[in-house]
Amino acid sequence: MQQFLAVAAQASSNSSTAAPPAPPLRSRPPRREQPSSVVKEATMADEHQELTKAFSGLGGLGVEENALVSALGRWRKQPEKRSQFRQGFPGFFTPSAAGGSNVTIERCSDEYVKHLKTEFSRFKNLMVLWAMHPWERDARWAHRALHKKHHPAAVLVELACTRTADELLGARRAYHALYHRSLEEDVAYRLKDKETSLLVGLVAAYRYEGPRVSEDLAKEEATALAAGGGAKPQSELVVRVLATRSKPQLRATFRMYEKISGKPLEEEFGGEAPCMREAVRCLDSPAKYFADLIVEAFKDGADKQAKAALTRVVVSRSDADMEEIKEAYLKQHGAKLVDAVAKNTHGHYRDALLAMIGK
Amino acid sequence: MATITVPQVVPSPVEDAEALMKAFQGWGTDEQAVIYILAHRDAAQRKLIRLAYEEKYNESLTQRLQSELSGDFQTAMSYWILDPVERQAVIANSATKCIDEEYPVIVEIAYANSPAELLKVKQAYHALYKRSLEEDVAANATGNLRDLLLALVSTYRYDGDEVNSGLAKSEAKIIHKAVGNGSITDHGELTRILGTRSKAQLVATFNYFSDEHSTTVTKALLHGEDPTGYTRALRIAARCIADTNKYLVKVLRSAMRSSGTDEESLSRVVVMHAEKDLRDIKEEFHKRASVALEQAVAKETSGDYKTFIMALVGSH
Repeated sequence: MQQFLAVAAQASSNSSTAAPPAPPLRSRPPRREQPSSVVKEATMADEHQELTKAFSGLGGLGVEENALVSALGRWRKQPEKRSQFRQGFPGFFTPSAAGGSNVTIERCSDEYVKHLKTEFSRFKNLMVLWAMHPWERDARWAHRALHKKHHPAAVLVELACTRTADELLGARRAYHALYHRSLEEDVAYRLKDKETSLLVGLVAAYRYEGPRVSEDLAKEEATALAAGGGAKPQSELVVRVLATRSKPQLRATFRMYEKISGKPLEEEFGGEAPCMREAVRCLDSPAKYFADLIVEAFKDGADKQAKAALTRVVVSRSDADMEEIKEAYLKQHGAKLVDAVAKNTHGHYRDALLAMIGK
Repeated sequence: MATITVPQVVPSPVEDAEALMKAFQGWGTDEQAVIYILAHRDAAQRKLIRLAYEEKYNESLTQRLQSELSGDFQTAMSYWILDPVERQAVIANSATKCIDEEYPVIVEIAYANSPAELLKVKQAYHALYKRSLEEDVAANATGNLRDLLLALVSTYRYDGDEVNSGLAKSEAKIIHKAVGNGSITDHGELTRILGTRSKAQLVATFNYFSDEHSTTVTKALLHGEDPTGYTRALRIAARCIADTNKYLVKVLRSAMRSSGTDEESLSRVVVMHAEKDLRDIKEEFHKRASVALEQAVAKETSGDYKTFIMALVGSH
């Protein structure tokens, strides 16, 4: 994807010779008093850039549907304009000899069309997910995480740790109905690696949801976790505690741990136990976790899963803890969530996200 | 089918509460009267009696019974007076306190209930103890036994009939390999299979196993001796999957050996199933032991306890 953006940005700045090149992702510059030919070229360049941006050529998620439609209208019966656009967008179209003759056509890049498919369907995916029952949604995400390649187990950790006990149970019920097996058996069977016992424990949990916390127990378990001097906590103990204790109890334990050992529990787990680290983060502060996921989706070079996380987080948390997520986002990343979303997404997708995030 | 008998015309809960208070008053307790009432009311009726008693006399019927009665009779009655779901939560909780000996109770509760019923027990546990059953099991058990028990109580099993026969075949092979010639080699896989697969899937798996190896999974697990209790827990699980009632009959028979009666287990099985399916268990008992359950109970128990258990089992 990177190459599309770089080439497109290059091309759009090349095609505007007289006027200064407009930076990507800015709206059209205000009209200035200039000779008409220069104005004409500048406008053409702007139009190209807008259309390139609308086709998701300048980064950001989603496509600018309205800009696309208005370009259709404006350029009706002007094939030369379309032709110039194709020449000016090398990420989308590459010149190619047409069957051995001297005529070249700019042919569509298959890779880019695939990319467009994803971008065009972001809005569709969001709407379908929004309409689904939350239990079915979670069950389908869990199933995908288990059965499709390149889907990280982190999604399972997210589902298991950020949903309430009854929501998680509901998702497991929906999983029965959809797939005729239990989520627990599929996780146990399909993820036979180091962190399986943690994942099975997390998805099978039916935690006590009340506020009662035993400070003595928190101290006892934090001490047990911190035992062993500077060594990492034993994984068996961690799994048992993380998978069975109630969330308020866990938070008390985490605080106590940091007091005893001087650093937060999540820092004890590095790259060799990613799910354990994610689990601690999700259980301790889901809003912060979600805010971080959103920021990852906007980064340059974010992969397909990171970008899909944006839809997942907004749709699943819109009714739940979106206010806390907005606060966490502001605190962690110094910007308002609505501004970041408006800046980095396009079209109906952007409008839908903003509507779900709220003021 | 239940075995308790409820009279055709049932007195109102207030009348029953008054009769119970009358039985408590004066010197000693009229245990016969208490049995006569409580052993012949179903769960809904008992609940109404508890409420009426508390409203009228401003004290908990459960606590009054505990102070008025004693011994095995009192234990059995304190289970009986509760709601079926609460009862199992209470039984599970006391089992977690000495889980190294009482783990068979946990396995029994995990299997005697459908997934939906087990969920209700867990919810009642939350309400009663402000903790989850899983936490208490995990905190008190250790090692492989803990992994197995935790899987059994946590998993919300698929409850349907769909079975994947390819999977059943391959997992039957895994079980056979893991059980080996006595000592278990792969605890992880055994726990995974028995702890997460649905009942229907496990039955199919066990069938493939016995077809292939001319012996049942239960028998294959008989050889290993394991001080941690893991193998025994697995055997109980396997037995319950194959035929829960048959397993319960075994518990009853072991409880009533002439060398000494295990009233805890006898009370537990009778009280837990009297309103549910004790009739089927009685039939199975008769088949296996060649005597009726009532006769065995009559022979091995005595006093008020005997009267109470006999009433629950379905004979006067």
